Amino acid sequence: MKISRKLYSYYLIWPALLVYSVFFVVPAIIGLFYSFTDWRLDRVGLNFIGWDNFERIFTDKTLLLAIKNTLIFAVVTVIGKNLIGLALAVGLNMRLKSRNILRAIFYSPSILSVLVISIVFTPMLRSEGTINRIFESVGLDFLAQRWLTDPQIVIFTVAAISIWQHAGFQMAIYLAGLQSISKDYYEAATIDGAGAWRSFRSITLPLLLPALNINLMLTLIGGLKVFSEVFVLTGGGPGNASQVVGTIILRSFGEGSWGLGTAVNTLLFAAVTVIAIPLLIFMRRKEVSE
Amino acid sequence: MKQKTRKIAAGLLGGLVAVSLAACGGGNASPGASTAAGGGGGDTGSSSGGSGTTIELAISKSSQDSAFVQQDLLDAFEKETGIKVNLQLLPAEQTATVLQTKLAVDETPDIIQYNLASATTDLNLERNFEILDDEPWVSRLENKEVLSAYGHVYSFHVSQDTGMQGVVYNKDIFDELGLSIPNNFEEFLAVCEKIKAAGITPVFMPYKDNWAANVWPAAAFADYADKNEPDLFEKINSNQKKWSDVPAFADILQQQYEVYEKGYTNGDLLSDSYDMAVGKFLNKEVAMMFMGDWLIQNVAENDPNMRLGLFPIPYTQDAKLGASPLGGQLFIPKKAKHMAEAKKFLDYVARKDVAQPIVDKQKYVSIFSDVTTPELPEYKQEIVDNYITPKKTVLTVDAHMLVDRSELYRLLQDEFAGGLDAQGVLTAWDEKFAQLMKDKEVEGF
Repeated sequence: MKISRKLYSYYLIWPALLVYSVFFVVPAIIGLFYSFTDWRLDRVGLNFIGWDNFERIFTDKTLLLAIKNTLIFAVVTVIGKNLIGLALAVGLNMRLKSRNILRAIFYSPSILSVLVISIVFTPMLRSEGTINRIFESVGLDFLAQRWLTDPQIVIFTVAAISIWQHAGFQMAIYLAGLQSISKDYYEAATIDGAGAWRSFRSITLPLLLPALNINLMLTLIGGLKVFSEVFVLTGGGPGNASQVVGTIILRSFGEGSWGLGTAVNTLLFAAVTVIAIPLLIFMRRKEVSE
Repeated sequence: MKQKTRKIAAGLLGGLVAVSLAACGGGNASPGASTAAGGGGGDTGSSSGGSGTTIELAISKSSQDSAFVQQDLLDAFEKETGIKVNLQLLPAEQTATVLQTKLAVDETPDIIQYNLASATTDLNLERNFEILDDEPWVSRLENKEVLSAYGHVYSFHVSQDTGMQGVVYNKDIFDELGLSIPNNFEEFLAVCEKIKAAGITPVFMPYKDNWAANVWPAAAFADYADKNEPDLFEKINSNQKKWSDVPAFADILQQQYEVYEKGYTNGDLLSDSYDMAVGKFLNKEVAMMFMGDWLIQNVAENDPNMRLGLFPIPYTQDAKLGASPLGGQLFIPKKAKHMAEAKKFLDYVARKDVAQPIVDKQKYVSIFSDVTTPELPEYKQEIVDNYITPKKTVLTVDAHMLVDRSELYRLLQDEFAGGLDAQGVLTAWDEKFAQLMKDKEVEGF
């Protein structure tokens, strides 16, 4: 009797594929179509206008600023979330009595609603808020800033809050990765006379690459798609200083420029794909086997 | 080893699915309930237009104090007609977006509360809303204009009291310091100086809410045009003139900035929001604010002994008081599923015995010839005597705008963040304004 190598029929993929198509693939394709039209609130019909919407994106100062801010936010948060998340994970993988409670504490911000975080942080970040008071009380007056109202630093403030919130989540993924590394390697390394740094660099880091991979992907995609943090903390302000692509999409829809809004959305989708997929392939190649 | 990536990914995915399912479960209660109520009514009522029907009334959450959606009114209406009114409360900052979407995909509510002026720019009045010229209550209107656009009655209200905009001030503080109402900008700065010397913040600027920065220019620009160039906004709206071509506009913006620069305002004005204003006045922390008279009403609701008044934006000698277009009207979308019932609701509210108590309670200036206007509060009577009767009011710029103004508000905020100077605000607004007008296919752009 021939044993089938297939455990389940591929037909089982249909329900999931159907849901995925109806709610993602089809809207994405329709969106692509609309982004080449002048679809607007106050027009009955719509016309095909070629690349006009995209041309407008790259000539509008506010939109360019939003793209710049999005890239700043993505880079800063990818670095911050991963460095801090990794440091926390390595620290809390050691034999500490309080490590379970500490893990819970560092993870907890990531389950809070961003709205709650905004309500907590906004008063603290005022000119006369807690954070500036602390700086002033220890004589570091020059560090006191208009955190959310200075156009030069506002996007970094929002990024910092996002790092604070999500570093614990990245930590959890790194911890899972760390715990799957066999202790034998470290023992062998210690016998060979390797120090802590050497062990980290030659054992931990290479074997942690799968976790690093996933974390980089998640933080990068999350960073490029940022919306809620900016929306609740600054609304894109002051003026347009902290606009990101996500808030610009909302603004375009609010102005009734639906075609332009979908074009920005399409561009974001394309950018995320173009950046994320090659990076994923590149990082996968670097992964090593135990 | 790639196995490991997959394992972690699978674990994460599982977690995410669990979280998203939990979120769906939690959030289900309210929208589910409202859909059920709406759906239940749909099959019984559409033909007969009578009892058992549920009509949907959409309103911004920030307007939930509106007289039209008070439960006793809705209950009384249901008792008499059997028509239930279901409220759809929309998040304040997304009201326009949600309504635009609902109208675009034909999921229209039966009644919408909105501001007439914004409805013409945001919601495409002519295409989306029913003309109400032939409704029975129209013949009783004393002032059709505040409900009309493009020569037709598009909306409904029991009040004709347009909000007045200027400088809200605390009369007690003015009396204590021996100050009188300033009649030009120099006098205004002198008043600020004296109030500051007394240890009170002269002007509260809650410009985290960027629209609040528009009160000063919206009234002052309109008064300038009214006095110097009556067809200025027509020219701007037909691209014969740009905002930055008017030097007085830049001066007016610069004046508002000067009030801040000279230290006459709250320090962290981009962190302070409008909802703090009532508290600031109640605590006598501030003496003045560039705002509408609705703020006076809000303060009075909390402390009836608080004596506040309103004077025109003192950008120049003898400025007129800004009159904002009437807001909070009810509209019926053309594609309302229960058109007859929605019209019945307007008929009901317009009835003398129903409208009178609303007008009395809200201290409205009645719009119906047979509904009497109650005795007005002191501040409102003053406005009527000193400004409305002698015709010293002017419609604010908002009344002349054909496009969404929120980018202008952001630019005004940017002036206070240090990103733009007064002329820069106007130049940037010219660019955006031209784009919006072009999108709207206005002639000349």
